[in-house]
Amino acid sequence: MASLHLQDLTVEFPIYQASGRSLKKALFSAPLVGSNLARDASNRIQVRALNHLTLSIEKGDRVGLIGPNGSGKTTLLKTLAGIYEPTGGALHIQGRISALLDVSLGLNPEATGRENIMLRGMYMGIHPKDMQGHVEEVVEFTELGPYIDMPVRTYSAGMMLRLAFAASTCVEPEILLMDEWLAAGDSHFLAKAQKRMEDFVQRSSLMVLASHSLDLLGKWCNKGLYLRNGNVIAYGPLAEVADIYQQSLADT
Amino acid sequence: MTVAGKPLSAQADPIETAKSARPNRGSLALQDLGSGLSKHWLWRAMAMQDIVLRYRGSVLGPLWLTLSAAIMIAAMGLIYSQLFNIDPIRYVPFLAVGLLTWQFISSVITDGCEVFMSVQHAIQQVRLPYTVHVFRSVFRNLLILGHNAVLIPIAFLVMGHGIGWEALMAIPGLLLLCLNGIWISLLLGMVSARFRDIPPIVAALLQVVFFATPVFWPVENLGRFRHLGEMNPLFAAIDIVRAPLLGEPTAPHSWLIVGIMTTGGLVMTAGFFSRFRSRIAYWV
Repeated sequence: MASLHLQDLTVEFPIYQASGRSLKKALFSAPLVGSNLARDASNRIQVRALNHLTLSIEKGDRVGLIGPNGSGKTTLLKTLAGIYEPTGGALHIQGRISALLDVSLGLNPEATGRENIMLRGMYMGIHPKDMQGHVEEVVEFTELGPYIDMPVRTYSAGMMLRLAFAASTCVEPEILLMDEWLAAGDSHFLAKAQKRMEDFVQRSSLMVLASHSLDLLGKWCNKGLYLRNGNVIAYGPLAEVADIYQQSLADT
Repeated sequence: MTVAGKPLSAQADPIETAKSARPNRGSLALQDLGSGLSKHWLWRAMAMQDIVLRYRGSVLGPLWLTLSAAIMIAAMGLIYSQLFNIDPIRYVPFLAVGLLTWQFISSVITDGCEVFMSVQHAIQQVRLPYTVHVFRSVFRNLLILGHNAVLIPIAFLVMGHGIGWEALMAIPGLLLLCLNGIWISLLLGMVSARFRDIPPIVAALLQVVFFATPVFWPVENLGRFRHLGEMNPLFAAIDIVRAPLLGEPTAPHSWLIVGIMTTGGLVMTAGFFSRFRSRIAYWV
């Protein structure tokens, strides 16, 4: 039974570059612009990326994350994926997480396409033995032909995307976290990818997808979560949240 | 539909909370260690790949590592046996073992500084036990040492130096070094991720330490300061591997010093790791 519960979840980043990351602790007083910057006890600048989030995502929910740049969408995904541990509040996760946040995860430019498929699998926690069974299917999907045995540094951006996409969608997801990264790729591939993506999303029992495209969210999501400056502005059925979002865009 | 600020009821037991993390930070750190160990296939494969990829496209491949070590041993063996006025038959095997052990120690330390920063990308994209990166780094250096170790029997053969059963004591010695490598990498990796001045400081220190430690010169040459030289923990670390291989007794306190260093280091790092593990993703 997959579910995600956030209770008063807060994530704050210390920014070391701005203050004394170096041992010499160079004194530096940057003006604090923006509402979610603050200084902590030792005078470091803190960014509150997520501000006391409390919400539940249940099995069957397909949540579309929307919000302007810097609203905390990616941070929320990364926190749900367990990469950032919350600095305050609680996060309750039930189910196995698959996070597709970055295309180039684990891609090693010197290794061949085939080796990179295995690498990607390893990063996702799949034993090479289990991954072996998926390799041929992935190779076929990428349509890379003989390039699959060439080093990835010889690939074009689109080819790299195909490889990464196919490799990361070959296993059964339970909780699927995705950042929108289906931007590159030619139209033939895009159509094919969409088909595969749909299957992949169908198989997951819970999904959170961050995107700026309301069209895309409309196709794949049934709920919306509107974030701004790390605060939840609205959370509920997608159509209603999309309305609030568009209204607030029109207001500014 | 919930609008901002209206809390929902939360069920399910928390598996990860910042508040209740305070008492069970230790157990989270232990979990990290446990799942890091159980993912041995991951770090073993990654370490192998590190080596293979570094030399892909070169004709001799990873053999370059061994070749450059061989050249170093041959050149230093010739020159320093003259300088120190020691019979090459004694000096070259001594140098070969000492130098290779030192190379292992020093590259474990330098790589240790980068252990989290070099995989920053992966840390920010996927949740993996942090100890995986540490094991990968130590194991990679152990593989390199394994390669280069073929030079030891070669040096022994060429110089007609025998080898006895007591050489087997080098194995527990090497295991202790690996254990030390693990805590040093974990500790330096964390500190370096937070304070970016650490790696250059460590690199500079290591160079000085190489000359100040009896790696390529015998500790006896220190004369009345010999005991001081034997207290150097890096000498002790080399000694517990080198002396058994050469069939000589270790310096009186070497095992004790390394033992203390291992225990103390592991305890200190355990505390550090428990306290700061969750911050690593924010630091890198």
